[in-house]
Amino acid sequence: MPGTIRSVSLVSVVLLVCLSSRRTSVGAAPICTNGQVGCHVLSLDNLFDRVIQHSARMHGISSDLHSEFEQYFLPSKNQIGRVGRICHTSTIITPNGKENAQRMAREQLTEVILKLLIAWRDPLWHFHQSMAHHHDFNNFSSNKALEMNDMVHELRQGVEKVAEKMQVLGIISNSVTSLASPEVLLPSDSADWRLMKDYDLLYCFRRDSNKVQNYLKILKCRIVPDHGC
Amino acid sequence: MRRDLRGALLLLLTAAVQSSSMSAPGKPVLLSCRSPEKETFTCWWEPGSDGALPTTHHLYYERERLEGTYECPDYLSAGRNSCFFDKNHTSIWVDYYLTVMASNALGNATSDPFKMDVMEIVKPDAPGNVTLWVEEREASPCVHVRWMPPSNTDTKSGWVTIKYELRVKKDNSNNWKEYTSGTQTHFSLYSVSPGGVYTVQVRCLLDHGSWSEWSNTTFVKISNYLQNERPLSMLISILSAILFIMAGLILIAKRKSVKQWVLPPVPGPKIRGINSQLLQSGGSDNVGNALIIKQSFPPIYFVWEDQMEDYLIVTENEDWLSSNSQKRKKSLIPACFHFDSEIHSKESPCHQNDWEKDEEMSQVDNNNKPFTNTGYVDFQRHVENVQEADVKHVDYSRVKEVKGDNVLFLEKEKVQSSGYMDFQRQERIPEDYSRVKEVESDHLVVLQKQNAADMSCKDEGNHYTDCALHKPRKPHVCTELSDSGYVDTIPAPPLM
Repeated sequence: MPGTIRSVSLVSVVLLVCLSSRRTSVGAAPICTNGQVGCHVLSLDNLFDRVIQHSARMHGISSDLHSEFEQYFLPSKNQIGRVGRICHTSTIITPNGKENAQRMAREQLTEVILKLLIAWRDPLWHFHQSMAHHHDFNNFSSNKALEMNDMVHELRQGVEKVAEKMQVLGIISNSVTSLASPEVLLPSDSADWRLMKDYDLLYCFRRDSNKVQNYLKILKCRIVPDHGC
Repeated sequence: MRRDLRGALLLLLTAAVQSSSMSAPGKPVLLSCRSPEKETFTCWWEPGSDGALPTTHHLYYERERLEGTYECPDYLSAGRNSCFFDKNHTSIWVDYYLTVMASNALGNATSDPFKMDVMEIVKPDAPGNVTLWVEEREASPCVHVRWMPPSNTDTKSGWVTIKYELRVKKDNSNNWKEYTSGTQTHFSLYSVSPGGVYTVQVRCLLDHGSWSEWSNTTFVKISNYLQNERPLSMLISILSAILFIMAGLILIAKRKSVKQWVLPPVPGPKIRGINSQLLQSGGSDNVGNALIIKQSFPPIYFVWEDQMEDYLIVTENEDWLSSNSQKRKKSLIPACFHFDSEIHSKESPCHQNDWEKDEEMSQVDNNNKPFTNTGYVDFQRHVENVQEADVKHVDYSRVKEVKGDNVLFLEKEKVQSSGYMDFQRQERIPEDYSRVKEVESDHLVVLQKQNAADMSCKDEGNHYTDCALHKPRKPHVCTELSDSGYVDTIPAPPLM
C-alpha cells in the first residue's frame, strides 16, 4: 500500500508540474489568432513563414485573375509604344532586384511592404465591388476578387505583427512609422487608381503582390536565416 | 538546236540576275526571352532574309521608369541572334520594350516591339547531378533519388523558392509516373519491384514561373535476386496445395470410416448373453455364471448342442423304450423343435427332458437308429454342468411315476432345490404345461386340470404342432406325456 500511495502522489505531482509549466513555456505549438491578448507563443520564423505563405497565395490568386482577364479582354499585349499604364503604387520606391533588396535596411524594407499593402486596401475593395456588379464575370472570378481583398487585409495585419515582434526583439528599431498611423503611407495621388481600368489594376496588383512576397522572403532570410532559406 | 541553246542561256542569265539582287533585310522576329534565376535574362530573335548583303542586327530596348532607348549590353554570351542582360541591366517588376533592327547596306528592318517583365519569364535550368541508389531491403527494395538545384540559382537568400518534380518510368514503357518533391532535393521511391530498370528525371520551378526542362535521364537496375527464390517458393506452394487437395479427397472418400474413428459409436446398454433372470434368481454362483456366459456368447450354441447330443436321444422306437429302465424313459418328441435364433433369457427354449446323467446316455447317443419325430429338446442343465450355456437355471425333479392324470411321483434323491417342477417361470404361463395344483408330499405332485381354453389343442392328437400355431409363441415344442419330464396338457391316456 505505501508503494501505491507513493506512486499516486508522484503522478499527481508530475501532473501539477506539467500543468503549471504549460503556462510559462515558450515553444512551438498553440496558434494565436489575431487580437488575442497575451499570446506570445509563436516564434518569429513561424510568423514569417505564415505571412510568406499568405503572400504566395495572394499572388497566386492575382495571377489567376489576371490571366482570366486577358482571355476576356485581349488588351495591351498589342499595345505599341511605351506602356500607357502606370500603377498608382509606382510612387513608392521599391527595390527592383535582389541586390537592391538585400542592400535596403530592414526597417525600410518592412515599411515598403506595409506601404504596398496599405495602398491596395481601397482599390481592391472597389474592384471587388465592380466585379460583383458586372454580369460578364462568373462567380468564380468574383469570389477570387473578394478573397484577394480579404487577403490583403489579413496580410497587412500579419506583417504588422511581424514588425511588432521584431521591434520587441530589438531586431529593428522603432522607426517604422506605418504602425503608428497607416494613413500617412497612402500615396498622395491615391485617386489615380480610380482612373485605372480593371485589367490594369489587376496587372499592377499582380506585380505588387510578387514584390511583397519576395521582400518578405528576403527579410526572413536576413533575420532568421536558418529556417528553410 | 540553236534556239534551245539560246533559251537555256537566257534562263541562266535571268537566274543570275535574280540571285544577285540585293535588298534591304527582312524583318526579324523576337522569339522569346528567358530568365533562369530571376536576376538576369536573355532574349532571342529570328532574323529575316538578309537581302544578299551582310546584315547586322541590333536590339534596342526601352524600360519603364527609365528614360531613353538603350542597346543590348551583350550580344555574345548567349550565342547568335541573342541578347544577354546581366544583373546590372536587369530590373524586375518593370516592363521592357524590345525591338530588333536588321540593317544592311540597302536598308533596315525593325521587328515588332516585344513587351516583357522579368517576373513573367522565369524558367530555371534543369536540376543537375541526379543520382539514384537502390536500398536493398528484405521485403521490398526502394530507390533513393538525389539531385542538386540548378547551379545558377540562389538558394541561400530566399530570393527564389525552388520546387521540384520527378517522373519515373519502368523498363521501356512510355508511362511516366510523376511525383512532387516540394522543396526537397531528395526523394524515395517505394513502389519498385526487383529486376526492373527504372529511369528517373527531375525538373524544377521557381516561385510562380515556368517549369524547367527535364533533367538528363538516370536509370538504375534493381537486382532480381529475389526472383530466383520465387519459382522455388511457388513450386513448394503448388506441391503442398496438391498434397492438401489429395488428403482432402481421401478424407471425403473415407468419411464414414473417419467418422467412426473420430466418433466411435457408443454401445447401447443391451448386454447379450447375460441372463437377467439368472441374475435375479440370486446366488453368487448364478451371477458369476451369468456374467461368464455373456462373455463368450457366440460359441454357446455349438457347445450346447453338443451337450444336447451327448445327453439326449429321443426316439419312438419301442425297442429303446423297452431296453431301458423305467427310470430312463424317453419321451417321444416330435420333430417340431423350433429353436429360437435369438436366445434371450426371457424366451423359453423348449422344455427339456431331464435325463439322468448316465453313461448310458452317451451310449445311446451313438446309436444310429433313425428317429422319427426326433428333435432337439431344450436341455436345461444344472448349474454345475453347464459352463456356458444360456440356460435357465431351474431345478428339476425326476418324475418317478405318474398316477392318474394329475398325480406325479417325484424322485426323492434328486435335486438341490426343493422338489418342484419348474414350469417356465415367466409371466405367461405356457399352455403346454400343467400347473401343479398341490404338492402333497415330497414325492407326490398333484396337477391341475387343464383349462377349457386348451381343450382345443387337445383335440389334435399327440402331435401338437397345431397348438403352437394358435399362440404366437416361438418355441413350440410338442411333447407327449410320458412317465418322466414335463407333463403335457394333452390328456394322456389315463395312466391310472
